[in-house]
Amino acid sequence: MISAFQRLKDLPSSHILGSGTPMCAGCGGLEALHEIYDIIGEKNVIVNAAGCMTLLSIYPFTPFRGSWLYTAMASAPAGAQGVRDALDILQKKGEIDTAEDLEVLVLTGDGSANGMGLSSTSAAIDRNLDFFYVCYDNEGYGNTGQQYSAATPHAARTATSRGVHGYPGYKKDLFAIWAAHRPEYVATAVGAEPLDLARKIEKAKKMKGPRLIIVLSPCPTGWGYDPQESVEIGRLAVKTGIWPLKEYEDGKVVHTKISRPRLPVEEYLSRQERFQHLFRPQRDEQLLAEIQNRVDAYWQAIEGR
Amino acid sequence: MYRIRFHGRGGQGMKTASRILGKAFFLEGYEVQDAPRYGAERRGAPMFAYVRASKEQINERGIIRHPGLVVVADESLIAVPAAGVMQALRSDSILLINSMEKTKLWQDRLNFKGRIIALTQSPSGKGWDEMRFIGAICAGGAARLAGVIQETTLTLAINEELAHLGSDVVQTNLEMALTAFNELKNDTGIVKEGKPVRADDYRPPSWIELSWEDPKLSAPAIHAAATSEKLITGQWRTMRPVIDYSRCNRCWWLCSTFCPDGAIHLDKERYPQIDYNHCKGCLICLAQCPPHAVSAVAEPVAEAQKREGE
Ligand SMILES: Cc1ncc(C[n+]2csc(CCOP(=O)(O)OP(=O)(O)O)c2C)c(N)n1
Ligand code: SF4
Ligand code: SF4
Ligand code: SF4
Ligand SMILES: [Mg+2]
Repeated sequence: MISAFQRLKDLPSSHILGSGTPMCAGCGGLEALHEIYDIIGEKNVIVNAAGCMTLLSIYPFTPFRGSWLYTAMASAPAGAQGVRDALDILQKKGEIDTAEDLEVLVLTGDGSANGMGLSSTSAAIDRNLDFFYVCYDNEGYGNTGQQYSAATPHAARTATSRGVHGYPGYKKDLFAIWAAHRPEYVATAVGAEPLDLARKIEKAKKMKGPRLIIVLSPCPTGWGYDPQESVEIGRLAVKTGIWPLKEYEDGKVVHTKISRPRLPVEEYLSRQERFQHLFRPQRDEQLLAEIQNRVDAYWQAIEGR
Repeated sequence: MYRIRFHGRGGQGMKTASRILGKAFFLEGYEVQDAPRYGAERRGAPMFAYVRASKEQINERGIIRHPGLVVVADESLIAVPAAGVMQALRSDSILLINSMEKTKLWQDRLNFKGRIIALTQSPSGKGWDEMRFIGAICAGGAARLAGVIQETTLTLAINEELAHLGSDVVQTNLEMALTAFNELKNDTGIVKEGKPVRADDYRPPSWIELSWEDPKLSAPAIHAAATSEKLITGQWRTMRPVIDYSRCNRCWWLCSTFCPDGAIHLDKERYPQIDYNHCKGCLICLAQCPPHAVSAVAEPVAEAQKREGE
């Protein structure tokens, strides 16, 4: 299939997600969502677990053009099952036309996706639920003040990892966990690479079954940088190899954009307040080397060099 | 007992306002409570902070029910039901609004019997630039309306509460607070102390029985698309992105693709147009425009330029 998105000029030049939302200025998650919504369109029901994005729809205001359902943090994929079933039943009864069918789209943060919501996601994939899952990954519990989540990267300072070495854990490999279920489609993306993102949404939109995508969402508020740098930070995550852009399909993982040469991870880390303790008052050479080595090892395994 | 509520958005400094005012009351010999309340702890979300001050022991706890004074840092909150700005106001309550609109307009709009004071164009007439200092401005205004806080006490309270921000920041905040304090001189002491609430006086609410209603009617459903556009998030902005059309080469509308808020659309000639009612001023467009056609202008300067142009 040839993608309709070959060049940046092919990206939508008008947008359908409403403005006026209460998300922070420069929110990388909102940027990705509006890029996604432009392509996925308005014919869907969004099932949203608690997190920053639940604030998008506060009665009577919503940026969406279709229905939206709020669920508890753990249960958005279960909510999606209910909505999917309801739509199927209505069609079977002839109460809605098949042309009026809607896509069911789960929207959750990383905290929900990697933690509380993981088992309901797993079960939904097992049942081969026909749904779309967008996880916006701001690498922490953003809405409650950026506590660490299972997606927080090693050494990042969060509200609950304030020690000299930051978060002691390692970012969970949600892509691998999801892909291990062998669903229809899994991908990673970032709003700063809109063409790559558009192609993935375009492709997944044409499929049926579980289609899941993790979008790295630079978060000026939680990560500590000037809002205008959101796109630059997202791009650096890709250029340093920290955020691999890839997709899983038919049992295979393909990397969709490989940076050569890769920039040193420092160029990404040093621009964010949450990693400042790696540079000041003195450089934490050991931790910096560890982070660099992990990234290098990942790409060595992929590229065989 | 003085009961004062500050309404703003996360990040606008209402917690600071309540702390400054609380400290000032304390220094004047009052017993004080001050506390912030967050709905969703995120920049931009509605929140409020409140202060109780009394010469007697304060036995009340929890949020203030009947405020003598409500201070609103961000006028866009008044229309947001969840923000609860008008909640439990009485006809003897005072409403102080930081607003570009005149008092009269608010009176007509709100159908509120009590006194409304609009801090039009903010104290020095410079406009939105002062949103950064709005916490101190609100504290200064509230102190004046309460009438029992001396200028020296307010100064001391600001110095103590903001000390950690460094002397330059303290100085600017102080100037802003005192401008508001002096601006409202004619209204010194118009906020009245409320009587202490006694447990004995408690009357259970007179419940209204609501009969069962079909969820299709009673559920809070929104029947229109993109209603969020009614919210004017342009007020969050301190810097305004301005496109120099002689430099814009109508690239592949990168500014429009990256703008998180969808605040840039293309006109018929495919030039980007910024929707200033919704642009939050993140300046991603400035950072990403390939030919550097976007520059940032401080809001008050941009406003002044606009006025001159008209
Ligand atoms: C069961 C449960 N526990 C805790 C919360 C409080 N809570 C609301 S949002 C949130 C953070 C969610 O993090 P994430 O999923 O990453 O979304 P983000 O806030 O980062 O957008 C938490 C802990 C909740 N709503 N439900
Ligand atoms: S806290 Fe981060 S993810 Fe949440 S709205 Fe703000 S910028 Fe976006
Ligand atoms: S400053 Fe930010 S919100 Fe405003 S138009 Fe530019 S990108 Fe959009
Ligand atoms: S990014 Fe710059 S050059 Fe491109 S359309 Fe926007 S203002 Fe014009
Ligand atoms: Mg998160």
